[in-house]
Amino acid sequence: MAPIARLSGIRNCFGDECVHDGLSLELPPGRITALVGGSGTGKTVLLRTLSMLRRPDAGQLELFGEDALAVGERAQRDLRRRIGLLFQGGALFTALTVLENVMLPLREHTSLRGHWLEELAMSKVLLAGLPADSAGKYPAELSGGMVKRAALARALALDPRLLILDEPTSGLDPIAAAGFDDLIRELTDSLGLTVIQATHDLDSIWRGSDVVAFLARKRVLAFAPAAELAQRDEPELVAYFQGSRSAEYAKLGTSQPGTSRGSA
Amino acid sequence: MTENGSSVNVPPRIALDRGDNDVWHLQLAGEWTLAQSETLSTIDRSLPAGFGDSAARGKTIRVGGEIDALDSAGALRLARIVDGMEQGGAAVDLEALPQSQRNVIELLKGRLPPPKTPRPPREGVLAGIGRVTVAKFTEGNAFLAFIGELVVRGGKLIAFPWRIRWREVVAEIEAAGLRALGIVGLLSFLVGMVMAYQAGATLADFGANILIVNLVAIITLREMGPLLTAIIVAGRTGSSYTAQLGTMRITEEIDALRSIGISPFDMLILPKIIALMVVLPLLTVFANLLGLLGGAVVAAYRFEVSFAVYFDRLPEVVDLTTLMLGLIKTPVFAIAIALIGCMQGMRVAGSALAVGRATTVSVVQATFLVIVLDAGFSVLFNLMGY
Repeated sequence: MAPIARLSGIRNCFGDECVHDGLSLELPPGRITALVGGSGTGKTVLLRTLSMLRRPDAGQLELFGEDALAVGERAQRDLRRRIGLLFQGGALFTALTVLENVMLPLREHTSLRGHWLEELAMSKVLLAGLPADSAGKYPAELSGGMVKRAALARALALDPRLLILDEPTSGLDPIAAAGFDDLIRELTDSLGLTVIQATHDLDSIWRGSDVVAFLARKRVLAFAPAAELAQRDEPELVAYFQGSRSAEYAKLGTSQPGTSRGSA
Repeated sequence: MTENGSSVNVPPRIALDRGDNDVWHLQLAGEWTLAQSETLSTIDRSLPAGFGDSAARGKTIRVGGEIDALDSAGALRLARIVDGMEQGGAAVDLEALPQSQRNVIELLKGRLPPPKTPRPPREGVLAGIGRVTVAKFTEGNAFLAFIGELVVRGGKLIAFPWRIRWREVVAEIEAAGLRALGIVGLLSFLVGMVMAYQAGATLADFGANILIVNLVAIITLREMGPLLTAIIVAGRTGSSYTAQLGTMRITEEIDALRSIGISPFDMLILPKIIALMVVLPLLTVFANLLGLLGGAVVAAYRFEVSFAVYFDRLPEVVDLTTLMLGLIKTPVFAIAIALIGCMQGMRVAGSALAVGRATTVSVVQATFLVIVLDAGFSVLFNLMGY
């Protein structure tokens, strides 16, 4: 089977400043990959490259077995349909209700109409863990956690196979964040999604992800489960993983893939 | 989920095999995907009617067969059917399906949307009229409250002028005044030209070309200069006030100001009002000059009234009173524009969309109020004999 997503030799520059140079990464299918790195290491830029919102200055992007940078506009549209993207701030359309937000991609890309369309959109809203009565609300009327869930519902609208999450748990309280991690895990397992999430949340890194891609020195410096990264001796990894809080997780040893909480 | 690449367009099928014992078989086939939504939407018709009733009570229904492709639309359909059977008292056994397909169906079955999403009742005509009326009164009320706050706070600052935030005032003067010179000047010049053309076309028939000066000068100084400037400023500056304050409301900057003990009224609104009261008369003088110049150009090149004659005659047809009658209106216009711009901005709540809406309302209201005020002034001056 062709890999879901593979980046190789990616270079992303802003003027003379390059955030990525020779970056390579392949996402393991059916797994949750955490994209980790200090501020300014280009996590969001990488996710934007992966979701074809930003064309890299050099390198190759292969999505679902196709060269995403070389294909025509039509093929690109088809590729985009298979990617669900959750923006950091949710990026819900403020003029539309939650349900309408979810219905928009469905209406645009399918021939579904009327009751059917509404029912399918509603099931995505419930799937994202929102109560049914929130479907008629506008984004401004939602709490931070609900905005993230509504954005997730929209990202799931077209049954993506690859789900890209930019800081899904930032700004959420620990309980809501844990709930979101569990939800992502459940969806990944049930729907067979491949997930990459940029995150700073230690809980999400250690428990909510199977493998960690660590960004440093303009590339993916390390790619392994969190527990292994915590043992490595590169200074960047040491600084990130030997912090007192991270050490707690390492001691608990909860980071083995498969034993993650919530997994079936 | 769906293997999109392998789509071969096999419509979904479902068939119920009622055995003679307590185990029934539900056979599935084809693609249960969005692409088959036409067939999917009516698929439960191929099941025996009244399936959700007690017919299946106590039976075990084994679901089997080969589903070629399954996505959430198909799974939702299946989940509904399975749920209907279970509601009818049957035990449904999905074991024969592949794990991945079973997972999706189970996941969706746990969170089925209510069959019909309840819609909020549509409001009637009367309710609509009532709501709009209340909204208008609230709007008027808010405007009065805003004027009240201006009088109270502004009055205090008149007593203690050193407390006015002069730095903000100067910045606002630059933004609303200096940077508006170009557009105000150009438009006034053009309107001056247009007036001279129209006046000249008629007057030349009577050989009264020289009267162009009277017409252009009086209309420019008394009406066109102040009104045009005020309308341009309402569109350019009033809207930016609304957008700025509205955005600051949404990003909670206004609340942040309050929380560190700075009154947004003193910091943001009052400087804007003061600045506009300074700027609008000055811009009007500038507009007057350019308007007269525009008239002069047309008069000279089209109607044989030379510059020398034009500017010689000017002081004879207009005097300081004419100028002042125009200018005296401008601070009032300025207050109206700034107040409406700021009030609409401060009333923004909710989302980015509200900023856009408030900006539109602000420009419409400010332009409207400026023209109404101008008409009021005309009546007043007329009564006073000017």
